[in-house]
Amino acid sequence: MFDFVHEKKRLVQFVLALIILPFAFWGVDSYQKSGGGESLASVNGEKISAQEFDNAMRQQQQRMRELAGPAFDQSIFEKAEVKHSILEGLVAQHLLFSEAHKTGLTVTDEQLAGVIGGIGAFQKEGKFDKQQYETMLSGQNMSPLMFESKVRQDLSSRQLTDAYTQNGYASNAAVDNLIRLNEQQRVVALLKFDTDALLKQIKVTAAAVDEYYKKNQSEFQTPERAKVEFVIFSTESLQSQVVVDEAEVKKYFDEHQAEFGTQEQRQASHILISVAAQASSADKQAAKAKAERVLQKVKQSPGNFAALAKEFSQDPGSATNGGDLGMFGRGMMVKSFDDAVFKLKAGEISDLVQSDFGFHIIRLTSVKAAKTQPFSEVKALIVQRLKAQKAGDKFAELAEKFSNTVYEQSDSLKPAAELLKVSVQQGIWLSKGQAAAGVWTDKVQQAVFSDDVLKNKRNTVAVEVAPNTLLSARVVEYQVASVRPLPEVSSTIQNKLQRQQALELMAKQGGELLSRLQQGEKVNVAWLPVQSIMRSQHAGVDTELAKFIFKANTAKLPAYVGVQTAQNGFVVARIDAVKDAATIDEGKRNRYQQQIRQVTGEELLQAYLADAKKHADISMKAFATDDKK
Amino acid sequence: MSTLDLQEQEQVDALRGWWKENGKWVVAAVVIALLGYAGMQFWKSHQAQQAGEASKLYVEVEKQIMTNDPKRVNDAVAALVDKFGGSAYAPRAQLLAVQANVQAKDMTRAKTQLQWVIEHAHETGLQDTARLKLASILLDEKNYDEALKQLNATHPEAFTGLYADMKGDVLSAQGKTEEARAAYKQALDKIEAKSMYRNLVQLKLDGLGDAK
Repeated sequence: MFDFVHEKKRLVQFVLALIILPFAFWGVDSYQKSGGGESLASVNGEKISAQEFDNAMRQQQQRMRELAGPAFDQSIFEKAEVKHSILEGLVAQHLLFSEAHKTGLTVTDEQLAGVIGGIGAFQKEGKFDKQQYETMLSGQNMSPLMFESKVRQDLSSRQLTDAYTQNGYASNAAVDNLIRLNEQQRVVALLKFDTDALLKQIKVTAAAVDEYYKKNQSEFQTPERAKVEFVIFSTESLQSQVVVDEAEVKKYFDEHQAEFGTQEQRQASHILISVAAQASSADKQAAKAKAERVLQKVKQSPGNFAALAKEFSQDPGSATNGGDLGMFGRGMMVKSFDDAVFKLKAGEISDLVQSDFGFHIIRLTSVKAAKTQPFSEVKALIVQRLKAQKAGDKFAELAEKFSNTVYEQSDSLKPAAELLKVSVQQGIWLSKGQAAAGVWTDKVQQAVFSDDVLKNKRNTVAVEVAPNTLLSARVVEYQVASVRPLPEVSSTIQNKLQRQQALELMAKQGGELLSRLQQGEKVNVAWLPVQSIMRSQHAGVDTELAKFIFKANTAKLPAYVGVQTAQNGFVVARIDAVKDAATIDEGKRNRYQQQIRQVTGEELLQAYLADAKKHADISMKAFATDDKK
Repeated sequence: MSTLDLQEQEQVDALRGWWKENGKWVVAAVVIALLGYAGMQFWKSHQAQQAGEASKLYVEVEKQIMTNDPKRVNDAVAALVDKFGGSAYAPRAQLLAVQANVQAKDMTRAKTQLQWVIEHAHETGLQDTARLKLASILLDEKNYDEALKQLNATHPEAFTGLYADMKGDVLSAQGKTEEARAAYKQALDKIEAKSMYRNLVQLKLDGLGDAK
C-alpha cells in the first residue's frame, strides 16, 4: 500500500538493528572487559575495543546471513563503509547507555529478574532454571554478573529510546493529505518523437569520429588478457570413478536400520499423583499413599481406568482425556516413565512409577510396531550416499597429491590430469580485474596474473575455489593491455555520435514544442492514447517522467511536462485530469496513521541521537579501504 | 651542621606559628570535605533508591496502557507525577498517557499533559517531542496560530527537519502554498538521505506542484 515506506525497509532494518541492539545478548561479552587491546572509538571517555567490534561484526554477519540466505555475500563486510557503519552503531549504543545512566533511568532488580526469567532459553519445562541459565551463559563465555549488567543496560537504553519511538505523531491533516497524494490518479497522454527520422538528418564526419577517438582513448582500452587451460578437481568428478558393490550396500542397510523406517510407537494413559521432586519426604509419603489407594481402585476395575484418571489424575493436560497421552516413541518421556511404558504389554497396567513429577499409574493402550522400508526402495539412495562418502575419502587422499603434482611438474597440467583421470579443459579468456564469477574467484585470478604464471609459464598453485573443489590453471596465450585501433571502433563511434546529436536535436525541438503547448498554443501532434497512472503504478511510463507528472502544477488543465528519458529521449506528457481517491474510510486512515506514526517515531529518535552525538565527546578510528583485519 | 639545625628549628617554629593561626581552618576544611563526601554518598544512594521507586511506578503505567482504559492510565501517571515529578520517568509516563487520551479523543487532557512535559521535562528532546505532538493536535483543531507558535519555539538543529515539515503541514492547511513549499524544502534539506521520513516530505512537496 505504502510503497515509499517499503522501498527502504531492508536498509532501515539493517541500520536499526545496528543502533538498537534488540535483545541480542549473545556473544556481546567484551563490553565489560574492554580493558586492554587496541581501541577503535571512544564515547565520553569510554573505549570501544577491537574485540567488541569483532563481536558486533560477527553478529551482524549472522543476522545478514539469516536475512539473505544463500545470496549472502561475506565480502561486503570487508568494505570500509560497512565497517564504519557497524562502529557507528556501537558508538550509538554506548552513547545510549551513558545517556540513560546520566538521565537517571534505572532498572530495578525485580524488573531485571522478570525479564531474564522470561527468556525461553533459560527455562526448563516452562520455568526459569538456574542451572540451565548458568550453563547457557558459560557456553557464551559470560558470567551471570556480566550478562545481568548487559541486560540492565539494554533495558535502560530501551526506556530512553521508547520515549521517542513510541511517541510518533500523525495529524489527520497530514494523513489525509498523504493518502490523497499517494492514491491519486492522473490521466495523461504521451508524445514521443521519431528517433529514426531524426537520425537520418544527422551526418557525422570522419573528422568528428577521429576527434572523439583521440579524446576518449580510455573508452577503447582493452585490459591485459590471458587465455588459460585448467584442471578442476572436485568430489563430484570423482563420483563416477568410485565403485560401490551390492554387499557394501546391504551391509550399510543392515547397520543403519533406524534411518530407513519409523520407530516403534506406543500409546499410553496415566494417572498422576503429583509431588515435586524437591518436596519433603513426608509430602512424598503422603502422595505415595494416595497413589497406592488409587492403584488399588484401578486394579479392582481396570475397565474404569479413564473414569478414574478423570477423577484422580493431577496431570491437567491428560486428565480430561481419561489420562490419554497419545502416541510417542522411545525416549520422548522422562526416563523412569519411558522404561515402564516400554516394558508393558498392550492392555497391561503398571505398578506405581516414580518420576520427577510424582507417582504414575500407567496403562499401555496399544503398540504400533516399528516399520522398515524394504531394501529395494532405498537401495539407490544408499548407493548414492556411499558413492559420495567414498568420493569424499578419495578426495582427501588425492588433494595433497594433486597440489604437489601441479607444483612439482609445473610446466604442464597433464600429469595432474592423468592422476585424476580427467581431461585438461581448454580455452578461457580472463581479463585482468574482471569480476569474480563461478570458479574464477579473485584468488585464482590473482594467481593467473602473477609473474610466476605469466612470465615463467608455470602452473598456478592448486586453489580451493569452492568447498572440496580445487583448481589449477596455466596460461597458454597472453595479450598486453592495448587500445583498439580506430578502424575497429569507428562505426561504433559514428553511431554513438549520431545518436547523441539526434537526442540533442530532439531535446531542443521537444523543448520548443513544450513551451508552445504550455503557452496554450494549439499544436497538431500525434498524442499516444490517454491512460491513467498512479505514483507507484505507471506501466508504460518511464519512472523519471512519472515523477515529473506527479510534481506538475495542475492548477490549470491540461498541463504539460517534458523530460529527457534514458530510453526514448525527450518525452512530453499532457495531463488531462487529476482524480483523487473517492472517500477515506476509517480503516484506511488508521492504517496510514499507524505507519506514519512509526516513521515519525523513528525520526524523533534519530533527531535525538544526532543531538546527543553533538554534545558528546566521540572519536572514531577511520577504516582504510583495503583494511583486511 | 649546627647552622642547618638552626634553620630547621626556624622552619619548625614558622610552621608551628602558622598552625596556631590556621590550624582550626584546616581541621574544619577536612571535616567539611568528609561530611560532604558522606553527604554525597548518601545523596547518591537516595537518588538511586528514588529512581528505583519511580521506575517501578513507570512499569505500572506501562501495564495500565495495555488495559486501554484511559482512566486507569491517567491515575497511574498521576501517582508517578505526584511523587516523582522531577524524575526522568514523569515526562515519559505523561507522553504515554497522551497517546491513550488522544485515542479516547480527550484532547483537553492530552494537551494539558503535553504542556506539562514542555514545562517540566529536563530532557530537551522530550520537550521537542511534546511540542511537535501538541502542534499536531492544534493543527487538527484548526488552531493554526497556536500551532505555529509551538513550531516557532527554539529547538536543537537536529529537530529542524521535523519542525519544518509540520510547519509545512500547517501552512498548506492555511492555503499558504508558497510558504508551505519553502518549509517542506527546508525539511528536506535537514533530513538525512537514508531516512524514510524524507519520502513523506517529498511526497507532500511534490503534491504542491513543484515541476519546473
